[in-house]
Amino acid sequence: MTVRKKWLILLLSVFIGVTFLSRRVVSANTNVTLYTTFTKISVPPGESIDYPVDVINKSGEIQNVDLSVTGIPYKWEYSIKSGGWEISQISVLPGEKKSFTLKVEIPFKVNKGNYQFKLLAGDSVSLLLGVRVTEKGSSETSFSVDQPNMMGNSKSTFNYRAKLNNRTAEKQLYAITADYARGWNVSFKVSGKQVTSVELEPNSTKDVYIEVNPPSQVEAGTYQIPVHAVSNNTSASLNLEAVVSGSYDVELTTPTGLLSSKITAGDEKQIELQIKNTGTSPLKDVKITASAPANWSVEFDTKKIDEILAGEKTSVMATLKADKKAIPGDYIVSFNAQTPEASSKASFRVAVRTSMLWGWIGILIIAIALGSVFILFRKYGRR
Amino acid sequence: MKEGYKMINNEISSDTVFENLDLKTNLNVKSTKCKTPHPFWVMVNKEITDHVRSWRFIILVSLIALTCLGSLYTAFENMGEAFKSTKSDDLFFFLKLFTVSDKTLPPFFIFISFLGPLLGISMGFDSINSEQNRGTLSRVLSQPIYRDYILNAKFTASMIVISVLFYALGFMVMGIGLIAIGIPPTVEEFLRIIFFIILSIFYVALWLNLSILFSVRIRQAATSALAGISVWLFFSIFYNMIVDLIAKGSAPSAFAPGHVVISFQKTMLNLMRISPAQLYSEATTTMLMPSVRSIGPLTMEQVSGAVPGPLPLGQSLLVVWPQVTGLIAVTILLFALAYMAFMRKEIRSR
Repeated sequence: MTVRKKWLILLLSVFIGVTFLSRRVVSANTNVTLYTTFTKISVPPGESIDYPVDVINKSGEIQNVDLSVTGIPYKWEYSIKSGGWEISQISVLPGEKKSFTLKVEIPFKVNKGNYQFKLLAGDSVSLLLGVRVTEKGSSETSFSVDQPNMMGNSKSTFNYRAKLNNRTAEKQLYAITADYARGWNVSFKVSGKQVTSVELEPNSTKDVYIEVNPPSQVEAGTYQIPVHAVSNNTSASLNLEAVVSGSYDVELTTPTGLLSSKITAGDEKQIELQIKNTGTSPLKDVKITASAPANWSVEFDTKKIDEILAGEKTSVMATLKADKKAIPGDYIVSFNAQTPEASSKASFRVAVRTSMLWGWIGILIIAIALGSVFILFRKYGRR
Repeated sequence: MKEGYKMINNEISSDTVFENLDLKTNLNVKSTKCKTPHPFWVMVNKEITDHVRSWRFIILVSLIALTCLGSLYTAFENMGEAFKSTKSDDLFFFLKLFTVSDKTLPPFFIFISFLGPLLGISMGFDSINSEQNRGTLSRVLSQPIYRDYILNAKFTASMIVISVLFYALGFMVMGIGLIAIGIPPTVEEFLRIIFFIILSIFYVALWLNLSILFSVRIRQAATSALAGISVWLFFSIFYNMIVDLIAKGSAPSAFAPGHVVISFQKTMLNLMRISPAQLYSEATTTMLMPSVRSIGPLTMEQVSGAVPGPLPLGQSLLVVWPQVTGLIAVTILLFALAYMAFMRKEIRSR
């Protein structure tokens, strides 16, 4: 009995041990291994990661492996797919491997940092996967420009290329507006057409071209232009920077704009000239010169103006003296305002008149002749 | 005095010398308050009648009118050219009527400068001496009028006839031109033409006074006419030759500096200006061609910077004012000489 009992106990214990052992093998699934190449990935928010995962069966029998994910952060979505199906269990032949894809979608609203989760095969076999979110993804709409700073003069057009990205789950209609000072002109173009609003499918991107035209009289400087894309439940903005360099332009004219004058031969005439800085930068050392016919002289009260601020004007008195022997008629006298950067020329048409002196002398001669005839009349006629 | 005039009037009106007189048609009644005109204007009237009815005058006027029409015709022929050219003168299109020519016939103003003296001479050469030879001079002077009335009346009458004639010719050219080309003259063009006519009248008056002077000095009408015509011929033909001769003789060498050449040319021009015809042609050219800015040689210095363009009327007048003054002064001077000669003349003898 005791022997039998011993045998029985032995058998039982063996059986139990075997069954225990075998049970442990089955439950621990030590013959199954999960494998993927990249176990730590850095991604920006909103990205989805596809992990190709291999299940390797090292045992001698077919293994049915339950697949699940644990420890995945809140709101992260995942799916396990293989052969076009969404799966939760995979069966692997002995000594073979099967692959499936674990797709993890990282939401836009995620803090920067390291995240970990486990892919479980059955109960005991697990694969630790790490994801590093590189930045804090907060907005649901992103509006960005690759080159927000541009430089040009007041006459140039600033062309920015911005990207509008709808990261929400719904279709959005964005109104695009910009804040700019009076005189500026900002327009938006999508695929070549001027627009004021853009419609975007979820998780899609559109290029928005922003054209900025500064006013022609803008002062040199850096200008900020905030541009907003606003839909009814989300919004994004970006800041454009236009650096306007000054333009140099000078205009020489007269206060009345009249560019003709009359002068008596040999006389002097004062002409008021006006020099306007029509550019956007101050003009320095403006030289005034004149070219007049031979034997004429032109003098200025100031030959050189130290500085004219943008948009300002100064007057210069020019004293024109015509040649004594100038024949009557029209002459060209041109004035020139010059700086190294810009110059302006004004051509005057000066009508020369001869002096009335000889006219009066002629009249006097005729009067003397008539007077002598009158004296003759008196002397001889009436007797 | 006025009472005296009345008496004179009544007497003169019955005088045989003025038998053709029609008192009622007299325009000038200013000098007396009554309807009978001042004796001076009676005499002027008579003289005008004599002029207008004389064959001499009719022949000359028809000659001038014909040449005027001829030059007008050539002007029309060449108006097309004037249309096409792009000079600044073209602004004054109407003036072209007086100046354009294709050189087969000279333009109007050259005809006037040539025939005007002839008209003046023909109207004056026998004004005093024929009266004296016929004995009518002393008969007129036996009336209670001033002696100078005769000379003044003859001059005034001739001036009136010449003025009417030239205004008529000028306005005829303007009128025909208006019909033919259909472009009305501007005010400035019109004034320029008026000045041209006035200049022409003075030019003819100069020759008229010269011939009156001859008629006072020379007893024979034919001699007086010849004297006038010879002066005219001298100035219109021989004087140019003489000046040319002088110019050839005294011309500076081809390598002379500029100012020498210019002063030489100025001297020659001044010599030429002794001739009234030269003065007249310079004056009329400037009046009728507004783009003429100066008469005589110009240096490059004076031209530099100049814009070719027409002168305003006042400036054109100033340019030729010395010429105009000269013409008018010589006219008055000749009249004064004729007047003096006449007043000192012994007229009672035949």
